Amino acid sequence: MTPILELRQATKTYAGVPAIEGVDFDLMPGEVHALVGENGAGKSTLTKVMAGVVTLNSGQMLIDGQPVDFRTPLEALAAGIAMVFQETSLVPTMTVAQNLFLGQEKFINRLRAIYIAAQQFLQSLNFNVDPTLTVAALGAAQKQMVEIARAVLHKARIIVFDEPTATLTPEEKQHFFHLIKDLKERGVSVIFISHALEEALEISDRITVLRDGKKVVTDITANFDRNRIVKSMVGHQLSQELYGRNTQARPPGKRVLSVQNLRMGTMVRNNSFSIFAGQITGVFGLVGSGRTETFKVVAGVLKRDYLHGGRILFNDKPVRYRIPAPAIAQGIVYVTEDRKVDGFFETMGVSRNIYAGLLAKLRGKRSWVRKREEKAVGEEWTKSLNVKAVSADANVIELSGGNQQKVVIAKSLIQDPELVIFDEPTRGVDVGAVAEIHQIIRQLADEGKAVVVISSYLPEVLSLADRILVSRQGKIVEEFANKDVTERDIMYASIH
Amino acid sequence: MNTTASLLPKEKTAAKIIKLDQQTIVFLIFIIIFIAFSIFLPGFLNTGNLVNILRSISVLGMLGLGMAVVVIGRGIDLSMVAILAVPTALTMTLASTGVDLGLALIAGVALAIAFGLLNGLLTAYAEVPALLTTLATGLGLAGIGQSGILQFDVVPWPDQLNPIEWIGGTTLFGIPSSVISFAVVAIAVSVFLKRTKLGLFIYAIGDNPNAARTTGMPVRPVMVLQYLIAALIAVFAGLVMASSSAVMDTRIYNLSLIYNVVLVVVLGGVGLSGGRGGVWNVIVGTLLVGTILNGMTILNFSYDAQNLVKGVILLMAIAIDSVLNPRNEETAQQGDI
Repeated sequence: MTPILELRQATKTYAGVPAIEGVDFDLMPGEVHALVGENGAGKSTLTKVMAGVVTLNSGQMLIDGQPVDFRTPLEALAAGIAMVFQETSLVPTMTVAQNLFLGQEKFINRLRAIYIAAQQFLQSLNFNVDPTLTVAALGAAQKQMVEIARAVLHKARIIVFDEPTATLTPEEKQHFFHLIKDLKERGVSVIFISHALEEALEISDRITVLRDGKKVVTDITANFDRNRIVKSMVGHQLSQELYGRNTQARPPGKRVLSVQNLRMGTMVRNNSFSIFAGQITGVFGLVGSGRTETFKVVAGVLKRDYLHGGRILFNDKPVRYRIPAPAIAQGIVYVTEDRKVDGFFETMGVSRNIYAGLLAKLRGKRSWVRKREEKAVGEEWTKSLNVKAVSADANVIELSGGNQQKVVIAKSLIQDPELVIFDEPTRGVDVGAVAEIHQIIRQLADEGKAVVVISSYLPEVLSLADRILVSRQGKIVEEFANKDVTERDIMYASIH
Repeated sequence: MNTTASLLPKEKTAAKIIKLDQQTIVFLIFIIIFIAFSIFLPGFLNTGNLVNILRSISVLGMLGLGMAVVVIGRGIDLSMVAILAVPTALTMTLASTGVDLGLALIAGVALAIAFGLLNGLLTAYAEVPALLTTLATGLGLAGIGQSGILQFDVVPWPDQLNPIEWIGGTTLFGIPSSVISFAVVAIAVSVFLKRTKLGLFIYAIGDNPNAARTTGMPVRPVMVLQYLIAALIAVFAGLVMASSSAVMDTRIYNLSLIYNVVLVVVLGGVGLSGGRGGVWNVIVGTLLVGTILNGMTILNFSYDAQNLVKGVILLMAIAIDSVLNPRNEETAQQGDI
């Protein structure tokens, strides 16, 4: 049987750094193929190549044995490859039916006609979604159904799912697995990216493990168990060093932050908790559980509700920040989860990025840019955080993800914070840099600072945190000491 | 979402190699055009005309500097020509009616500051797109000037203002003093942008306003400051212009001067996407635009034909700019220019 899709020696580099390197991959008709690997292992890049979002630097892609070269996602779609992203690509203000037929409208677009067509189509798939509802009104699972329906409607033969289950409840997850089986029976091939290894083991026919942009192994699922996957994912030594369990919990110091009944819109509901100096507090929760929003309010990045917004006590003094500047002045910094959006300044060099952090902290104390100080600051911090750049003047945009992250961290640490909030500190960071960033975080706690690490990656939380808070539906629902908790406890608290 | 982001680095490096040279390229084009005009255009290369060019570009250049400050901070100020004309005319009118020189100056500058503040507050705090805010305030200010506070469209330079004639109407060692004023403003803006903390903040805000906010910079006050600086430079340029031509014609607002200013800034290489460029870019842009305008005048191009040429160049410059300095889609906001 010829594979429906095949990649040979696929290589893609970003600014000289390979995201995937010499990867061979094949997908059989009607197969469910799971792609697993750590953050930055190259899973997303691989699927983006298939979907025509990025083009290969070298290597070949074949469909039905014929070489193809997709320049745009449209070409891939025409060839029958559809991608269902984690962040949905639906238009929230349009109805389900409009979204389904988006881009296929007839010249005269009769709403009634597309509602009827959509209704029939959704029923044929056994999807219980009202086509006249606007997408914004749907839940995560229903949005996903619409995305899948759209892919099927486009006669997709290959559907790529990027982390499809991250935002689903267990019941929705089961339904989703049924959908996958349905698709399979229709002869659709499915590629499935997941962090949750159990899911990969449960629904896939074959599993491919990627590490550092290279393929480690492809094998039928029956030959895998959890241990074998983890071993291939992280390699031998790294697994211990990287995500080894934090065994020596630091005792809590004085209470630095106390949050009482915090509210913000629909994202944060009546949230209360405390943070202590000299230890790392891990905050675990699924995407959309309000963990990021809560801490953004604490750091002044977001505003809490004006009425009944709750109280935040920082060093026992009530605070209410409308912008981050006063929070930084008093010693709270927030290290963003998305450094490209609000992390670094891409037109500036490494030193200047870090120096900008210092100048922002020194409000009213500095009027002039001191070149010598800037240079010294740049050299000091690139050295202490081991930022690998061609020079201290190199543009941040040209660095690898890990080094960019270190620059963003340096920019915050130079502001001499008392409470440091890391939001997904190792997202999109190469494996080598993960260990270094973890080391930086641990050292901060050893120095007596209050450290918060928000992460949706459980091993990271378990490896860093002394104390674990679990967030669900806008509030902290459970608190654990790291030494006597299992992954299952935390997972359970976060979804039930 | 990550699609564009992950594609960016490659394009960025390619763009950067070209961009490093953009002001050099523009400067070379200027040299070529200058030589071509000198050879082929009778009456171009003589002292009188060169002084004329210098005098005409100094006002354009000053406006370009003010505009550059705003554009680097990811804004745009289309009200600069109105602020150049009306507050200056107010000062001149007041002075001619016998008001004390200092008071007249204060009145003019205060009017400019008021509109600079209005621009800044509307864009920074009310989050109205800069393009629309400044279009409207400029129109309004020109309207006030032409229908309300001023008696005549064309206000002559009154003798009472002669004590400050040296900013534009005299010469120093044969150099028109308006050129010296331009140089002084250029040095001041350069020092401000490159050497002060607030200058660095403007670059940071233009580069990525979200990151600037998270880093703890006072984003909104600095945005107001940009428009304030632009307004102050505009009114100074207005006084220089009036003193050198001995008259302020407030109908200048109806002409295409503001497009020349945008042309200078974009052509020189101050990217409209913000965070890029500096005073040198404005200077080379000014030299090129000033020379082309002067050449077209000597060639006796009609006003409309000149507009056509400028329009085409502006369009090309903006198109090339958006290729060289692509907008960062992750930080772009609705209504950004």
